[in-house]
Amino acid sequence: MPKILIPTPLRQFVDKQDAVTVAGATVGELLQALTNQHADLRKHLYNDEGKLRSFVNVYLNDEDIRYLDKDATAVKDSDTISIVPSIAGGR
Amino acid sequence: MIRIEPTAWAAMVAHAREAYPRECCGAMLGSENANGRLVTVTRPMRNAFEGAQEDTYQLDPAEQLAVEKEARAQGLSVVGIFHSHPDCDAYFSKRDLQNSCPWYSFVVLSIQKGEFHHANSFLPNFDQTAAEQEQLEY
Repeated sequence: MPKILIPTPLRQFVDKQDAVTVAGATVGELLQALTNQHADLRKHLYNDEGKLRSFVNVYLNDEDIRYLDKDATAVKDSDTISIVPSIAGGR
Repeated sequence: MIRIEPTAWAAMVAHAREAYPRECCGAMLGSENANGRLVTVTRPMRNAFEGAQEDTYQLDPAEQLAVEKEARAQGLSVVGIFHSHPDCDAYFSKRDLQNSCPWYSFVVLSIQKGEFHHANSFLPNFDQTAAEQEQLEY
């Protein structure tokens, strides 16, 4: 099954695992399965409207899914999903 | 509470001084437990903002992905992000807040006339509407 790498601050919501394997055919299905299994993680990734939070970027291997098929991006068993926050700022 | 070990702290300050008068940015690697966060390694990163960097920074997501892999390989965790405010106090600005995330400590270094002046650390909330200042030791 595809593997989702969990950033350290979120591991407390997935039984302290650094990676979770879940079943699904698309990135969106994997993230839904992940947050169904670990409900406390959901608010970290999704807003109240059920959309990914603005700072959450999702990578399929080394590709940002925004430049693929977004949530509908197809996944293979050998794929790795990474969650990378978008960060910027300025005075 | 976040504590930054001397070597890591020196690397952060050096990166901020080198970038002056532009803003620098980077990741802080280490560990965390119930008592807080400990930074043992600093990873300077490029400011990916394509414009005036004197008052803006932006992390490169591809580099973030690489840093995350490096941390895992070393058995470390990314616990925070740092950036500098050239000739400006180390406060968490509106833009810092709006483009932050609640998962990390955000350390801001004030660099005045090219030299380190002071620093603060902040913990943003989920909606990027407020940030709590946290105790910083270095």
